[in-house]
Amino acid sequence: METPLLSVDNLSVDISTGRGLLKAVRKVSFEVNAGDSIGIVGESGSGKSITLKAILGLLPGTAKVTSGKIFIHGKELSTLDKRRRRDLISETIGMVFQDAIASLNPVIPVGEQITEVPRFRLGLSKERAREQALQLMAKVGIPDADQRFDLYPHQLSGGLRQRIAIAMALSGSPKLLFCDEPTTALDVTIQAQVLRVLLEMRRDSGVGLVFVTHDLAVVNEICQSIKVMYAGRFVEIGSVENTFQTPKHPYTFSLLKAAPDPALPVHRLFSIAGEAPNMALPITGCPFAPRCFAATSACEVSEPEPVRVGNSYSACFYADQFGSWQSAEQVGVKRTS
Amino acid sequence: MNQTTTPMRATNLVKHFAKHQSILARLRRREPFSVPAVDGVDLELKAGETLGLVGESGCGKSTLGRTLVGLYAASSGIIELFGQQVGEERALEQRRMAQMIFQDPYSSLNPRMTVGAVLREALLFHGLVEKKKVDDRARELMSLVGLPSDALDSYPRQFSGGQRQRIGIARALALQPRILIADEAVSALDVSVQASIVNLLMDLKRDLGLTMLFISHNIAIVRQVSDRIAVMYLGRIVESGPTEQVFNHPAHPYTQLLLNSVPKMTPGSAIAVSPPGELPSVQKAIVGCRFRSRCPVSIPECATIDPELYVVSEPTHLAACLLVRK
Repeated sequence: METPLLSVDNLSVDISTGRGLLKAVRKVSFEVNAGDSIGIVGESGSGKSITLKAILGLLPGTAKVTSGKIFIHGKELSTLDKRRRRDLISETIGMVFQDAIASLNPVIPVGEQITEVPRFRLGLSKERAREQALQLMAKVGIPDADQRFDLYPHQLSGGLRQRIAIAMALSGSPKLLFCDEPTTALDVTIQAQVLRVLLEMRRDSGVGLVFVTHDLAVVNEICQSIKVMYAGRFVEIGSVENTFQTPKHPYTFSLLKAAPDPALPVHRLFSIAGEAPNMALPITGCPFAPRCFAATSACEVSEPEPVRVGNSYSACFYADQFGSWQSAEQVGVKRTS
Repeated sequence: MNQTTTPMRATNLVKHFAKHQSILARLRRREPFSVPAVDGVDLELKAGETLGLVGESGCGKSTLGRTLVGLYAASSGIIELFGQQVGEERALEQRRMAQMIFQDPYSSLNPRMTVGAVLREALLFHGLVEKKKVDDRARELMSLVGLPSDALDSYPRQFSGGQRQRIGIARALALQPRILIADEAVSALDVSVQASIVNLLMDLKRDLGLTMLFISHNIAIVRQVSDRIAVMYLGRIVESGPTEQVFNHPAHPYTQLLLNSVPKMTPGSAIAVSPPGELPSVQKAIVGCRFRSRCPVSIPECATIDPELYVVSEPTHLAACLLVRK
């Protein structure tokens, strides 16, 4: 078996807040290889962005990795010294953030920002780096790259800025691209253009994509596998096709029902009771149990570990009963047993 | 009041925002330029219907909503509420009649007022209940929107996003409006909470016999809630019609582009290749069709003729495209 490009084993992150210790990420494990496209889906506060930041070593000062190992090309990051760790991360992974204006330097022309990595890390000459940057800009669909090279971020529209950010992330020819809600701030027609660019990147250069979003439809469009995150854990892992057709965790099931499909008219949206749990409180039992249509008293006692169901994994005691959920949802009441 | 009259009608509504002029420009007596956020909109809300208004950011949909509700004074054009034209200054009764629900439940509530104070203020100002009954009415409103009625003494920060949006709805309903204008009312909420707020709005609309304008960039949700939809582009309505008619047979190239760009949940879907280009700026006066710069099917005439709304199919499916003109 080949060594995976990136492997995360049992990662946990705590964040200290004024209201106590927040268990933001709990025992998360996964692998990414070249050419993969993985969607990590969850609602705000579920820990999806923090997971990416922990891997890149970009956690804020209040956050701390409390357990877990991260391997790149089989090398465990914590065994490397600071400099080598940084080099290894930055040559393997590029990152695109949600807010392009915040990730670009406002006083440096955008083209120059794209040349930074090639010039200072790969040692390219200024001219060569410029040439490469122009190619990248054309590749991510920036028209008239020549003229836009010398513009400042504020002179560009949101869609173009996000493309500059993607070009920047690709400038060190990374094997993996981490995208944290890269299209959430964009209008749908612009979002479609940016998603196209990412799809083409993966197809043409075999870049692996890890795509964090709250938008299930976006995952459906560009990812092959999906990891659903709830309260800091992956509650369901599977292929996009499988998961969208027959979800194996009640949370995924409810989420898919609650998100209307623009392609179909439904006249009543399925709503999930309650709200996301407060992560600063200790978790006993399944964190989704208070909102779950399939929960029983057993769910309040211990937290289910992920089990294999078909080709998916689901952290639910009743994962094997997914076939019966269609009717349970219509009743919409908590089952008692 | 006559029940059969149209709750709200706008005719050729225009809202310009004056652009700041530098001193130099003023000294040179440059013609002041204003941004036409809403640029000649005709709109009708029929009794009991939900009209969905969709468009991308900057197209003027929020400005239109705010102008209709009276938060902005229209630059020109006519707004009628139940057949009565509103003047520069709306009468108290007219202000009460159309109420708004805002996008951001975090910034649209005063953090220093308890929920009870917010509701009491509205009720007493409009003289809707006697002073001694005001608490009872406030509690009633709370239970109407599904909040515990003992939460009247809590501050907005003590509630979650979804609950805050319920408070916003209670505040709007306190004035017993006939028309609700929901401006991106669920856009700031998580998917799992979004659905419950949408359902609440729809239930209230039905039970209280309200008419609603549902403004959103979320096309999927608009499809679920609206009887009719209107698509806005650069200050104009470019297409309108019964929801399913527009979704199944979009007539305007912009509507087609918009609908093709929306990510779908169905397996095997792939986002259509969208033509390049973005919303042009409205800094310059627009000549011809405003969608021309991005339009895949434009014809030479589009550069000179500003299309009006032509009938696509009888009676009410309209689109502002020369290709539709027969």
